Amino acid sequence: MGTLQSSPAPTEYCDLSEKTGFSFEQIAVLHKRFKQLSHDEDVLRRDHFSEIPDLASNPIRAEIIEAFFDQRNFSKNGKGKVEEIGFEEFLVVMSHFRPPSQHMTNEQRENVRKEKLRFLFNMHDTDNDGTITLEEYRHVVEELLSRSGALEKETAKSIADAAMLEVASISVGHMEPDEFYEGITFDHFLKLLAGFEIDSKMSIHFLNMDTITLCK
Amino acid sequence: MELFFNPFDNLLCILLGISFTVWFTLLLVFIIVPAIFGVSFGIRRLYMKTLLKIFEWATLRIERGAKEKNHHLYKPYSNAIIAKDPTSLEEEIKEIRRSGSNKDLDSVSEFEMSDIFYFARRGVESIMDDEVTKRFSAEELESWNLLTRSNNNFHYISLRLTVLWGLGLVIRYGILLPLRVTLAFTGVGLLVFLTSVIGRLPNGRMKNLLSEKVHLMCYRICVRALTAIITYHDSENKPKNGGICVANHTSPIDVIILASDGCYAMVGQIHGGLMGVIQRSMVKACPHIWFERSEVKDRHLVAKRLSDHIQDKSKLPILIFPEGTCINNTSVMMFKKGSFDIGATVYPVAIKYDPRFGDAFWNSSKFGMVNYLLRMMSSWAIVCSVWYLPPMSREDGEDAVQFANRVKAAIARKGGLVDLLWDGGLKREKVKDTFKEEQQKLYSKMLVGTQEDRSRS
Repeated sequence: MGTLQSSPAPTEYCDLSEKTGFSFEQIAVLHKRFKQLSHDEDVLRRDHFSEIPDLASNPIRAEIIEAFFDQRNFSKNGKGKVEEIGFEEFLVVMSHFRPPSQHMTNEQRENVRKEKLRFLFNMHDTDNDGTITLEEYRHVVEELLSRSGALEKETAKSIADAAMLEVASISVGHMEPDEFYEGITFDHFLKLLAGFEIDSKMSIHFLNMDTITLCK
Repeated sequence: MELFFNPFDNLLCILLGISFTVWFTLLLVFIIVPAIFGVSFGIRRLYMKTLLKIFEWATLRIERGAKEKNHHLYKPYSNAIIAKDPTSLEEEIKEIRRSGSNKDLDSVSEFEMSDIFYFARRGVESIMDDEVTKRFSAEELESWNLLTRSNNNFHYISLRLTVLWGLGLVIRYGILLPLRVTLAFTGVGLLVFLTSVIGRLPNGRMKNLLSEKVHLMCYRICVRALTAIITYHDSENKPKNGGICVANHTSPIDVIILASDGCYAMVGQIHGGLMGVIQRSMVKACPHIWFERSEVKDRHLVAKRLSDHIQDKSKLPILIFPEGTCINNTSVMMFKKGSFDIGATVYPVAIKYDPRFGDAFWNSSKFGMVNYLLRMMSSWAIVCSVWYLPPMSREDGEDAVQFANRVKAAIARKGGLVDLLWDGGLKREKVKDTFKEEQQKLYSKMLVGTQEDRSRS
């Protein structure tokens, strides 16, 4: 007789909506997407993400996939990585890309901005020591550039080094030749990207939908 | 007591006998005889119109029911979830940098930390919604067609609607299904039997003619076994001998639909069991191309057999589905270039199913073949349109891949399907690394290009 789709549970969505800031309809849509990606299981694993063809052409796909399993992105004090995630964690990571809503105070906007930058910082800082070292930064630059194409490994390395030098000069000021630059801390990171308009560039726009009042 | 039951017994037997005879006569007159001669009474079209009216009514009732309870319907989205910006890599990165540094930059200069925004966002966008993964699940409907398979709003149905649905259930499983199964067995049985008989005749015009008639007749019976209502457009472009017929693939029924209107030579792997029996007897009457499982991997062998077949002008046109797998009939995926390499004239055909009557897509990872056929036979009907497109040949300076894409675009346009570059094999495998390298090359070329400019100046 065919399978019936289970209707969305309204109470769960209330909690999730408060936690992540998505509307109920957006949560329902993302839930459907979660089920599609996980082939109707309750948890998502790394290989489920590897099946998405559009993602495969993205140079930093490995980092993006890792970001979903990084506990630092689930809560403020999380540490380490997990092997599988449920729908709640999926939503929390997605909420970093939530579009800014109209009625937000300046303080809320600042918080959202910090969260997005924290997400990016975590993506660079793979060993979770609070700083982006030269090695880690170099790794990201290499991922973005081609290993076999227009650039050689040496060129990629020198681009990364030059960028780090620039970062060092902005955050620390003038450095002695034998001084060692530890790495970019989160505060430095914030300072560096202070001017960039991250609100619209790092958010995803949902298509206009009718609002559903499932939760009463 | 015995005397009492005997007349009843007799009466019962007589009644049963009469009803069976009536049943079979009706079957013969209304279904099998027209199938033999290729005419139609128009009963199926009338049936289709009636069904459509009932479906509209059912959908209105559901919407009304939902409004009464002050809920909104959970509408499934057939299109995109998110709005993706169509700007290119270069423009986006320029924009990001411009917003940060307040400099008036005309070209993309050296690497900046903010470049990563773009890639991160694109990555998460693809996780939320991508063109390919949703092609492999069945299409979602706007109205309800009285099948529980395609209903999400089950709790808004009133009593009247439930009764109607129950009636529909009884009709579909009690009357239509047995009828269709009988017809299917008749069709297949006749096919096997008659082709074996014809196989004994000496090769010649008579044999070809007879085999044509027999194939057509049996396929028409199978078409009626599925209650398929097919509209053929542009029949003047029908494939001719020595050509290759190429079509988009949604389900194994595509073969029956095309073969009931013209004779083709089929290409495929030899299976065991019932399929194998059918294949072996079909090849006795006229030459089809069946491969052993081991031969399938050898591309040269396949190409050679195909080209040998088309050189012989007395043999029927070959029927091939270049996508390689079943797609859910909303788009056309990458065509494999093998069949376009041989140098024959290609006759493209577009097949589009009407999803309101029954979902013809075969999701082979979800249902097996028998399960799928049962679902097909217990749907209301299968309504589809077939367009024969004018023949195409490979032009000078065009390689097989470009030719394949040209044919694919023509089919997608005619059938109203979305033309995708992606490979249907992605249903089961992963994307090759070459695609990731494309984006990397693009980005690095952008950076290196400007480095050279600066070193020159």
